[in-house]
Amino acid sequence: MAQRIPNHLVSNTLLPYLSSSPSPSLFRLTTACTSSSLADASRPASRSFSTTRPSQTMLRREMIRWLRGKGSELKHHIPGETNYITHTNKPFPANSNYRSDPILSEDLRNEIHNQVTVQNKSVRAVSVHYGVDMRRVAAVVRLVELENQMKEQGKSLALPYARAIHEMVPVTPLPSEEEGRRAHETINDLPVHRLTDPQIFYPVSESRQFNRIDAGRVFSAAPAMANRHAEQLQANPDETIRKITQESPAKIEKVGKGDGEHQVLLPADARIPHPHMITHERNRLTIGKTEPGEVRQKYRARLEQETAVELQRKERAQQRLDMKTQKVQPENSRFEFRFTDVVVSRETTGLTGRGHMAPGRRYGVPSYDRKKGQVKIPTRVLV
Amino acid sequence: MRNRATTPLKQPKIRQSWSKYNLYNLSRLKDNYRPSATFFQQKWKSKAAARAYHGEQVSEKQWTRMFSPRLRSVVPMAPSNLARDDGSAMSAGRGSGLTKAPKPEEQPEFGEFDEEEEAAASKPTEKFEGDRKTPYVQMTFAPLERRLDTAIFRAMFASSARQARQFVVHGAVKVNGKPMRYPGYLLNPGDMFQVEPERVMYATGAPKDKVERRQTRVARKKAAEEAKKAEEAAEEAAAEEASTPEEATKEESAPIEAPRETLKALMAQAKAIMNSSKDVLPAKRKQDLRGFQKAVRRVLSRSGNSTVLTANLEEQFSELTTLLKAKRVEKKPVKAKEETEKQEGGEEKQKAEKTEESATEKSESKDATPKAGENGPITTKLSEAFRQAIQNPEKDVDTSELSDDEFEVLRRALVQMRDNPVDSTKPYATPWRPRDYMSAFATIPRYLEVNHNICAAVYLRHPVARPGFAEVPTPFGVRTNTPAFLWYLRRR
Repeated sequence: MAQRIPNHLVSNTLLPYLSSSPSPSLFRLTTACTSSSLADASRPASRSFSTTRPSQTMLRREMIRWLRGKGSELKHHIPGETNYITHTNKPFPANSNYRSDPILSEDLRNEIHNQVTVQNKSVRAVSVHYGVDMRRVAAVVRLVELENQMKEQGKSLALPYARAIHEMVPVTPLPSEEEGRRAHETINDLPVHRLTDPQIFYPVSESRQFNRIDAGRVFSAAPAMANRHAEQLQANPDETIRKITQESPAKIEKVGKGDGEHQVLLPADARIPHPHMITHERNRLTIGKTEPGEVRQKYRARLEQETAVELQRKERAQQRLDMKTQKVQPENSRFEFRFTDVVVSRETTGLTGRGHMAPGRRYGVPSYDRKKGQVKIPTRVLV
Repeated sequence: MRNRATTPLKQPKIRQSWSKYNLYNLSRLKDNYRPSATFFQQKWKSKAAARAYHGEQVSEKQWTRMFSPRLRSVVPMAPSNLARDDGSAMSAGRGSGLTKAPKPEEQPEFGEFDEEEEAAASKPTEKFEGDRKTPYVQMTFAPLERRLDTAIFRAMFASSARQARQFVVHGAVKVNGKPMRYPGYLLNPGDMFQVEPERVMYATGAPKDKVERRQTRVARKKAAEEAKKAEEAAEEAAAEEASTPEEATKEESAPIEAPRETLKALMAQAKAIMNSSKDVLPAKRKQDLRGFQKAVRRVLSRSGNSTVLTANLEEQFSELTTLLKAKRVEKKPVKAKEETEKQEGGEEKQKAEKTEESATEKSESKDATPKAGENGPITTKLSEAFRQAIQNPEKDVDTSELSDDEFEVLRRALVQMRDNPVDSTKPYATPWRPRDYMSAFATIPRYLEVNHNICAAVYLRHPVARPGFAEVPTPFGVRTNTPAFLWYLRRR
């Protein structure tokens, strides 16, 4: 967990909320001293003659005693520190497998937004630079855009609330020039693929180099590669992985027949979000000591190339979409109508012909639309 | 839907809520293994406890349909490890890597490069290896985290899942900019949801106390009466003359806030703060506040420029500094200006912190004089400087007394007054402060990216387990969640 070192002088003495707890230490002290006496006072000295039920059960008294004693320090937080029952970064005492992960500080968020929108850096580059997941970088840009928009429109923001939250949970600060960058989260998470669940006993001759590409093939029950081909791939691993990740996914080899057809599992090198980092590390291992400049230059070139490829891919997808849809915007209308041809094909109906993606009535495929108990909650909201 | 999410003390149930009852129950919760119970009993108890927390508002039938035995997980990969080895080293020999010979004592001659690299590489592996298993069963209720109401609770926009659900049903929530009224909407990766900031402030803020509620009633009554009077007057005027519209517009334009009024409002706010939250504010802080009130009043009353009060904060602040004839500006004019400009932009996010704490002194900016924290509260000095300025306007203020901190303090106080005003029309206690015991529950899971300023969040991806950690915030440990998972596997 990132340590939270408050790097600004922030004073709360002047106005009440800023830190909700006026002076928790003081508060704690007094309550700790008085709690026992208070608890004693709340207990009735002798049985009363009233016929009404006592308002406080023993359980309730216990709870109040706890809230006044141990629990009193949880009432207010100390800015810049987490305030959990466990006194660690784990909010649930019985669950040691959940920890409170840091969130991005506002400075860092704004910096990421600035780098992506103003400095025009690629999401990938920013992600690697700050150790923030690419999806998070994209989300940050989107949210900060929205925030700016709301500010422009003069809408009310929840500023004191935001400030309070950032005081309560761990925060990753914007790294300053002197101190090194610290990653916010792991950015090269490899999702565990379903095909890798079973343990497979696969005998290989000892003379054979059995690498991750081969392992993927074994897991997806693909026949072993021809030796010559495998050697070719092994000769230049960077190029191999680059090709896999940058070429169209349709080119990935498939195995199986009919319904059981599936792609061959790719090696981990190709399935992590930043395969170019492996290339960079390999360069560092080989020529890093002698030509660090070249390593850096290669890294930059690769990043640019990645960005260009991604851009190209995006453009092509947009073009394809434009080809499919016909847009009509009537005059004096705020609406734009988009028409797309319906497709009833093997892809949409499935092999059985009963797939729900295909529209229209098909023989033998009843529509349960009007039937009782059908869930009509939308499944997606388009932006 | 009736709220059955009670927090009983007798047979404690943990709920998705920030209430103190829940906190007390949580503190008593133990992850126990009960060997005396039958296997069925263990499973039943566990799933009952887990379901009281996870998706209590979702019917059992619905949940069993959502349940999936496949639990998502990831493994963080280190690129350096992948670069070092294409996997063949791991599968060498008899399939689990070659047995390493013990390391020789003497250092290899050409080893410095390798050594360094190895040291760097071994760090992450140490971090991720070991006996850190992936806690798969903790992901049992991951499908419920996709629900819109749960996600709103997780993003800390509501104080309980029930309240989150109410926000959705009452139409205060948007998904991807479009109103969404289904609490059971399953978020897709990349979906952005936002809640009205006012609702969030209400949900997470401390409630009004008796006195404040009364003040609200009085204010409302007064406003209603005034509106009535104005209406009557307008009607009379309309009856008397035909040329009233001009007058009416005049009347409307009249209550443009005069600068004096603004100042008065400012002072009144501070006063109200002190009056309303007597029990919250300790005596020390009240003193500080009073000192600040006085200081601002004194200085601004001497201001020749009447527009300064209505102008923005930056101007107000610069006016204050010029009034004080602070040498500080002359000393390092560029720096001071830069600082104020910079701070203005990123003001809101700055974490508040108490000056009493010694931690603050440590973290003070370098150019700040260390004096500030040492002797007494900053405000006394500030007001002292103000007093000096007022008593002998001809003489220069002793600027050694005024540090950057103090200027900063004053400016920040003004910002606070603007951002977090006293307003009796709000449904929560003003100025806003977090509700009690909120910090004990404050955590934001990694699969969400939240912008609290605008109360919007993005559901980045589905929650996953990773070695040592699971992303689903569940109060229960493995000993509860394993039987619960087994229950829903339906192999009972």
